[in-house]
Amino acid sequence: MTLSHYLAVSTALFLIGLFGALTRRNILGILMGIELMFNAANINLAAFNRFLHPSGFVGSAVAVFIIAVAAAEIVVGLALVVAIYRAQGTLYTEDIHLLKG
Amino acid sequence: MTLFENVHWIALLPLIASFVILFLGRDDSDKSLLPYVGITAMGVCLIHSLLILKGFLFGGFKPYYRTLPWFSFGDFEMSLGVLIDGTASFMLVVVTLVSFLVQVYSLAYMHGDPRFKRYYAYLSFFSASMLGLVITSNLFVFFACWELVGVSSYLLIGFWFEKDGPAYASKKAFITTKLGDLGFYLGLMVLFACAGTLDLNMLAARAQMGPEYLPQQTAALAGILFLVGAAGKSAQVPLFIWLPDAMEGPTPVSALIHAATMVAAGVYLVARTYFLYAASPLAMDAVAWTGLATAVLAAGMAVVAYDIKRVLAFSTVSQLGYMMLALGAGGYTAGLFHLTTHAFFKALLFLAAGSVIHAVHTNDMRQMGALSKQMPSTFITMTIAALAISGFPFFAGWYSKEAILHAVWLRSPLMWTIGVLTAALTSFYMFRLIFLTFLGSSRDAHCCEHAHESPAVMTGPLWLLAVLSVSSGWLLEHNGLFASVVHFGAEAAAHHSEGGLHAAPAWLPWAALAAFVSGLAAAWRLYAREDLSLAAGIKERLTPLFAMLENRYGFDRFFLMLVSASDRLASALAWFDDQVLDALFIDGWAVITRAVSELQGLFDDLFVDGAVDGVGIVTRNAGWGLSRLVRGQVQEYMLYAALAVSLFATFLMTR
Amino acid sequence: MMEAAFYSLTAITLLSALGVVLARNTLHAALLLGLCLAGVGGLFATLGADFLFGGQILIYVGGIAVLMTFVVMLAGRASELHLRQVNDQWLAALLICGVTFMGMQKIIDSFSNTRAPATTTATTAGVGRILLDEFAVPFEIISVILVAALVGAVVFSRPRAKRDRS
Repeated sequence: MTLSHYLAVSTALFLIGLFGALTRRNILGILMGIELMFNAANINLAAFNRFLHPSGFVGSAVAVFIIAVAAAEIVVGLALVVAIYRAQGTLYTEDIHLLKG
Repeated sequence: MTLFENVHWIALLPLIASFVILFLGRDDSDKSLLPYVGITAMGVCLIHSLLILKGFLFGGFKPYYRTLPWFSFGDFEMSLGVLIDGTASFMLVVVTLVSFLVQVYSLAYMHGDPRFKRYYAYLSFFSASMLGLVITSNLFVFFACWELVGVSSYLLIGFWFEKDGPAYASKKAFITTKLGDLGFYLGLMVLFACAGTLDLNMLAARAQMGPEYLPQQTAALAGILFLVGAAGKSAQVPLFIWLPDAMEGPTPVSALIHAATMVAAGVYLVARTYFLYAASPLAMDAVAWTGLATAVLAAGMAVVAYDIKRVLAFSTVSQLGYMMLALGAGGYTAGLFHLTTHAFFKALLFLAAGSVIHAVHTNDMRQMGALSKQMPSTFITMTIAALAISGFPFFAGWYSKEAILHAVWLRSPLMWTIGVLTAALTSFYMFRLIFLTFLGSSRDAHCCEHAHESPAVMTGPLWLLAVLSVSSGWLLEHNGLFASVVHFGAEAAAHHSEGGLHAAPAWLPWAALAAFVSGLAAAWRLYAREDLSLAAGIKERLTPLFAMLENRYGFDRFFLMLVSASDRLASALAWFDDQVLDALFIDGWAVITRAVSELQGLFDDLFVDGAVDGVGIVTRNAGWGLSRLVRGQVQEYMLYAALAVSLFATFLMTR
Repeated sequence: MMEAAFYSLTAITLLSALGVVLARNTLHAALLLGLCLAGVGGLFATLGADFLFGGQILIYVGGIAVLMTFVVMLAGRASELHLRQVNDQWLAALLICGVTFMGMQKIIDSFSNTRAPATTTATTAGVGRILLDEFAVPFEIISVILVAALVGAVVFSRPRAKRDRS
């Protein structure tokens, strides 16, 4: 196994997540896509740590931070989703356009 | 020396008086005290001048020179200053005295004139200008005063401007003298270009340092150009034509301006810049010959004139020519001596003539005659003046003319001969005037029977001037008093004391006397009798000569031709200007400019405004278009961001 | 052995990720997300990152995916099941992703010879040490962030009317 394999996997996962974030009509889908991208980043960190600095722990430590931030994000995001759903009665982004210019 | 420190007030006082008279009081009030303002101012100036002259004559005054900076540009500094030497002191007395007397005389002469007050304002203004001209140390200021004098002369000649004659004469005088002023001005520029200063003292000092500081050619050029100016102002050949016409003005004005003072300004100019002529024999010769020609030609014209004032005018021209001749011949002292004495008796002649005219209301001598009984004072004083001007022994004119002829003899016997001839003519026409006016028979009863002696305010000045005409020559010649004060450098004084060395033949004075006697006798023979047939007969036989003299040698016609030619040239040029230059360049330019402007306007509308509007439109449309993009769809925003990031990242990776 | 583990985990991860992105039923997507996250955890395991593996399973699979499932079940409706879940810009997004992937290809290829050392060390102790030593300050900050997120979540998810009354 080479580093390339892991990078390829993480890239693919990231792009799948990006695709989801860009195309899902449902806010929950967007959140899930974002989660996928976080995970792709974490795979990268762990892979670099393993292949380039096998004796170090910084990659893992930073990945822990990311997991924490992702958890915070998802908590707030889901709270917002609930609030939006309560206020607008929908989760479809076409119907949510408060930022329309 | 408070006399000198306050000398500028001599010029300023009449100026102030002039403005006071002009701006205060009403124009038509006869009882106005305003003329006395002018007379008082002039009297003060007269006393001041007399004190200065006394200082020069008896107090051993040295020439006084003081300047204060006026303005400067670059290295050049123009100063405002006074320069009082013997010449100037005499000139001051002459001007103030004649002005004073004329103003007194005018009280009666101009009485009842609707513009009485303005007349006095003009007189004072003239005096101020003339006195400024006399005292200034700077040729530039000299020139300014010179022009002011010209303006006052114009105003006073044309004082009765509602009549055609004075209006025309004032124009003629102004324009003709202006022709001379051009020469003066050019001379100023030549001098300035060469010496870088117009201060008389500095120029004289420079001239004294030698030809390397004032090249002879420059001196000659400037001198001759100044002579042209002097010829205009002092009515020398060929610019004398204005002076006879200037007699259209009030007679006291003629006495003041056109006999004693202003016309002497030209002579004074030559005297003031005498160092130029001393440095250049050529310019000296030009002065001498101009003077000589003027003297004899004007005398010839005086012989045939019938207008009493014109006779005197031609006489003035002739005598001014005499002064010029003297200056040109090296007789600086003699010329200025004659200027002084001439001022007295010529002013007297004019004032007496004014008195006559006042009495008979005509200028034509053919209508006068036998006035001696009605106007004894006038007759006696005028005869005295005639004797003085003709050179009757021991009268003023005798001394001054003697001095001139003496100087001229030393210069050239030919000039002397013509000078003596002129003296004979002078004597002839003066006594012709006296005899025609006062003796013989009364030719026009209507005119003469009401004639009466003028009031004392008019005869008073006459008598005073008569006394001066008789005595001034002896008083000033006596002990060489005049020469001790008025001389050019050391030369003239030396010349005077060495008189014995260059002594002219002893018969010289006798020749002058003979000229006087012959002129007197001829006048007696022809004009003193009841019938003038002999004179008429002579006139008959010499018709062409008389015609030439009466036509003033064609100078008038020549200048008229010149004027009309220049008029035609001017109209041609005006036509050219109007039709060609204007049409082609001005109007054409306007058309082009308009076309260009319209093009520019179009360009402005289309492109500049279009650009401005375009920016607005583009911005608005872009804003509209961009606002379409912003649909509030968060995923669209993300798409744009992702697009940018992906492009950027891809670019970085694949580079 | 390692290859088999890697490839099978990769297959699980990517396929379930595609399912997350493409599934019409949001609940299915949420469930597949849990599977995908678990696959990622497996990949962590193949990389020898034992602490991350544990954290991944606990936090993501046990926390986030479950939370997501709850919310989906809370907010979803049966009527939406037949709705299209992909919007109009899917083609553009696909292009972007494809281009980006091709761009990344080069970097991926540059590490094709980088191999892992045979031995692995347990990371948990090291990570714990480093978090309380070098990364002490970020660690504290992240705890503050988590608290803030908690409070924020509580505030946002409280019913509006009740909040207004208070």
